Amino acid sequence: MEKELRFPVKPEEIDGLQVGEKIRISGRIFCGRDAVLPKIAGMIEDGSIKDADFSLEGGLIFHTAVSRAGVGPTSSNKFEIESTMETLSKGGIRMHLGKGALKPETAKKLQENHAAYAVIPPVTALLNAGTLSRKLVAFPELGMEALYELEVKDYPAVVAIVNGESMYEQD
Amino acid sequence: MNRIEREDNIFDREEIIRKTAETLVKAGSTFSEDKFTAYDRVIREETGDLSCWADRTIRENAVTAKEDQSPLCDDTGIPHIILEVGKNRNISGELLEAVQEGIKEGLKTLPGRPMAILGDDTERVSQSGGLNPDSEGVLPAPFMLRYSEEEDRLRLTVLMQGGGPEIRAKTYRVFHKHSMDVVIDEVIRWAKEVIGQLGCSPATIAVGIGRSHYEASSMMLQAMAEGNYNKQSVYEKRITEAVNESRVGALGLGGNHSVLGTFIKVGPQRASGVRIVCMRPCCCFEPRKWSVDF
Repeated sequence: MEKELRFPVKPEEIDGLQVGEKIRISGRIFCGRDAVLPKIAGMIEDGSIKDADFSLEGGLIFHTAVSRAGVGPTSSNKFEIESTMETLSKGGIRMHLGKGALKPETAKKLQENHAAYAVIPPVTALLNAGTLSRKLVAFPELGMEALYELEVKDYPAVVAIVNGESMYEQD
Repeated sequence: MNRIEREDNIFDREEIIRKTAETLVKAGSTFSEDKFTAYDRVIREETGDLSCWADRTIRENAVTAKEDQSPLCDDTGIPHIILEVGKNRNISGELLEAVQEGIKEGLKTLPGRPMAILGDDTERVSQSGGLNPDSEGVLPAPFMLRYSEEEDRLRLTVLMQGGGPEIRAKTYRVFHKHSMDVVIDEVIRWAKEVIGQLGCSPATIAVGIGRSHYEASSMMLQAMAEGNYNKQSVYEKRITEAVNESRVGALGLGGNHSVLGTFIKVGPQRASGVRIVCMRPCCCFEPRKWSVDF
């Protein structure tokens, strides 16, 4: 049985997840990757995020570009992505969605901020069917790497890191 | 003038463009039959529940992409072209121009991800020149031209190379100590180092062995173009089985199939203590390839 999560979520919905649990993701989610995530993290750190016309509270960031080719996860262990997860979680993001193993210290930082990491298969053809709408939110000059908001239904994923436990530290 | 004429070879430019475009779309959207067979086998044999789920989802995605002729992955890749020419066939600048045009058409149709960086050398490297908004702005890598023993062959192969595997690929020297086993063991070590970081497993390990870095890379590309999951050599099986022992599984979710298969191409070698080896851990959709004969 797959748990259904509709974003934005409340922190307790994340705390109730378990590593290895299959989930279905619906609702409004953000999309961003290498180029834009450090910029959003910078807005959180300098406080300018409070003037933005979007809210990260309870949100999910899917590590993907958004283009006419569709969406699909890039590697979340790229420096610009993994290194910004702590700050983005402090800014309200509750789930980071991508692919690839993350460091143990990242798992700890996510736990401290009641955030989780989930892995999504790179199934662009299937995800296209679950993408109901897309909206450019910030940094349009970054093109497909700008911050987007999608309305999605039933994206498949697996919880890889939550509550300090990591799929990548077992055995 | 739409006809390209060279002695005994007559090409229809529009046909070259159309066929090249169709081949690129097929490469980006359609699994080969042996790839479907490989997934069916892995799904039957996979002991990890989550990996099995991921393998099934990836296969389901492939069926949808094939039906829709849409991208398997949003990283639609960089077009890499191999042209094989037999002694009875000619190629010309006009033919190459038509192929280039066909690549553009294919990228528009697929559609390819618009990921070309604009600007001068510095701007392109530092990604400060902005993005080209057009799918067809993604230029192909330099074409590979090969002589074919098939006298009447003029074959175009398109491979679409994604970014993730490029991060983890490696081309380096191996001191072989006069042993193939030494080289294979080194490839296994390289592959095991990166398989967990790839994210998009089950992978296919493509290996080229040559005399120079250029040759090793081109052998690796040929291995991707010619490899078949149903025809695995002893060395290919050995690499696959050894990397599978890492139990990374599909998408790193844990399981006994981190790798679907291995493709090795060995080129000419020089009298030397060193072999140049290129190892590319191709993602779960690769090789994304298709061929057409003109």
